[in-house]
Amino acid sequence: MTSRFTRRMATRLGLAAGLALAGAAYAQAQTTLRIFTGGQQRPDVMRQIVDGYMKANPNVKVEVEVGGATSEQQQQYLNTVLASKDSALDLILIDVIRPAQWAAAQWAEPLDSYLGAEKDAIMARYLPAYRAANIVNGKVIALPYFADAQFLYYRKDLLEKHGLQPPKTWDELKAAAQKVMAAEGNANLRGFETAGAPIEGTVCTYLVPLWGSGEDMLKDGKLNLASAAAKKPFQLWADLKAANVTPPNLAEIPTDRIRQNMQAGNLIFGMTWGYVWNRLQNDADSTVKGKIGVVPLPGFTADKQATCIGGWQVAVSAFSKNKAEAAKLARYLSSPEVAKQQAILASHLPVFPGVYTDAEVLKANPWFEQALPVVQSARSRPVTPRYTEVSEIMRTNMNAFLAGTKTADQALGDMTNRLGAIFR
Amino acid sequence: MSDAIRHRLTPLERSERRLGFAMLAPAFLLLAAVVLYPIAELIRNSFHFNHLAQPWMGTPFVGFENYVKALGDDRFHEAVLHTLLYILVTVPGAVVIGLGLALLANQPFRVKWPVRLGLLLPWALPLVFAGLIFRWFFEFNQGIANAMLRGLGLEPLNWLTSPGLAFFAICLAIIWKSSSFVALVLLAGLQTIPKSFYEAAEVDGATKWQQFREITLPMLRPAIFVALIFRTITAIQTFDIPYAMTNGGPGNSTETLAMYIHKTTVDFLDLGYGSALAVLMFIVSAVITSLYLRHTRRDPGRH
Repeated sequence: MTSRFTRRMATRLGLAAGLALAGAAYAQAQTTLRIFTGGQQRPDVMRQIVDGYMKANPNVKVEVEVGGATSEQQQQYLNTVLASKDSALDLILIDVIRPAQWAAAQWAEPLDSYLGAEKDAIMARYLPAYRAANIVNGKVIALPYFADAQFLYYRKDLLEKHGLQPPKTWDELKAAAQKVMAAEGNANLRGFETAGAPIEGTVCTYLVPLWGSGEDMLKDGKLNLASAAAKKPFQLWADLKAANVTPPNLAEIPTDRIRQNMQAGNLIFGMTWGYVWNRLQNDADSTVKGKIGVVPLPGFTADKQATCIGGWQVAVSAFSKNKAEAAKLARYLSSPEVAKQQAILASHLPVFPGVYTDAEVLKANPWFEQALPVVQSARSRPVTPRYTEVSEIMRTNMNAFLAGTKTADQALGDMTNRLGAIFR
Repeated sequence: MSDAIRHRLTPLERSERRLGFAMLAPAFLLLAAVVLYPIAELIRNSFHFNHLAQPWMGTPFVGFENYVKALGDDRFHEAVLHTLLYILVTVPGAVVIGLGLALLANQPFRVKWPVRLGLLLPWALPLVFAGLIFRWFFEFNQGIANAMLRGLGLEPLNWLTSPGLAFFAICLAIIWKSSSFVALVLLAGLQTIPKSFYEAAEVDGATKWQQFREITLPMLRPAIFVALIFRTITAIQTFDIPYAMTNGGPGNSTETLAMYIHKTTVDFLDLGYGSALAVLMFIVSAVITSLYLRHTRRDPGRH
């Protein structure tokens, strides 16, 4: 009786001690990093990438947290996490428009000290636009994860069927869309879509034609919307709407709806981002596999094509408790091998010029050959710590105009007034 | 009078009173921490500049600057106007529909659960779900509203991207969502009306309509008032349904005051101005509630 009791006791004690030891060893060796990404930035591919990283670094566990589908929804959530200095997130995928804002708010840990002497060599590898976007006041705020720009997606099969070339100007696009729509006689087939809902992408719906007419929103840090060029975007979209090339509900179309409509075979032309290619080619429910072409966006004239720069960066949270490990992972995520992996798995545009000409990458994305010059010439949305306000003013006014509740003059006037208070 | 009472307290009673206060203290402290402290902080913030996107500006005291800014802010005026319109349409709307539902649920059906479930379901659904569901109803291409119009041979409408229709669609969603709560309150009221009143009216030869006007409505007055107060207070705070359905669009034409406050603080990180707007909303809310309360207090004297 006693002996059995002692034995049982001993086993229990041994077990407890073993567990405690194992626990301690576990705690010593294991760092858990939590990375935040958006639902639109292919979290499934991110998981594959971090799985590879965990295999190579068994002492690190990486959890992927997936947030909202649009850039501003993600930022809304991150605002509450970071304004309260929460340490729950170690790494965060941020939109290319954010580094200035994150540097000003002191939410991103500057990475200079983690890059050390290699800093300049590391940063020199990236496309110049991404190098510039991620260095704010001389400090590295984030490392680029993938590049992006807006392209014109088109139905190769329909254009060929009706003897048309991919358009180089907006007028050609209008004519081509009208011809195909009339000839096809399909009530569900729309001519052209771009983002029109009050979301981040709609900012580019204004800026692309503005740049195309040779102006920019800011000149020497001052608002520059007094010229005739500032009205050109409104005229362009009004013209396409009057011609029934854009659908009547353009004002409720967010970025991913363009992809869905194209995928369902209901759209001839779409102005959208790089990720769409992979979905159209590989999604099980895609009705347009092998029927899609991608070219640079049209301009008012064929020689003046413009596009919005996009792309996502990895930032290390200033409130993370594992900054050194997080910085290491950030460097890995921002490496040519991960860029290649993303290009093949998700048609994410690489931030390294060399990856564009990789044979495997080109096999998965034949259009990448023409994509590099587009990304290189793509332009940035205004850089300011108050970007969320700037973006909101532009997208709500653009949305109101597309919905027909404001005239071009009202929308431009309201935009000028509100933006004027920010860019004083 | 109170002195006299205090003198009459025995030591035992006094110690019991102390114990009472001590036992209330935790609840009071908790309430102070989650209600009073945030309100005090909100009021303090509203007199400061506090913009988290511009931390280098510090948080200087600016007096009434944020309030002055609000008075001259068109978007604030529009948001207040939209909120008032939502109140004017959805509060009576919910009470009328809710009354109908309550009367229906009060009928002596043999199987009661389908009606009761129909009453409870919208109430139990989270607001933002209701918003998303209605957003899909009114979506241009796939929505059921436009499918019905097409079925009737009519042109589809831009439900969510034209201001008038979007306002209508949002009101419909809010009324659907909130009328079940009103119905529950009124159903409780209906069940307190003695059956004998109706039997007596029947004997006197009163029609159903007369019974409703002369018995049901007057007896239901207190319940209707409670429902009105609750519904109005939640209507002042309207946020989730328009947020999910239009996010304030097209432009800002369906944006409510609560949405503008959320945008200013959470999106723009302008805590100073956002706090001033929240204090203004609090004042509006307090004024409307006190008007109701004055009315109810006067009420018994009139009968």
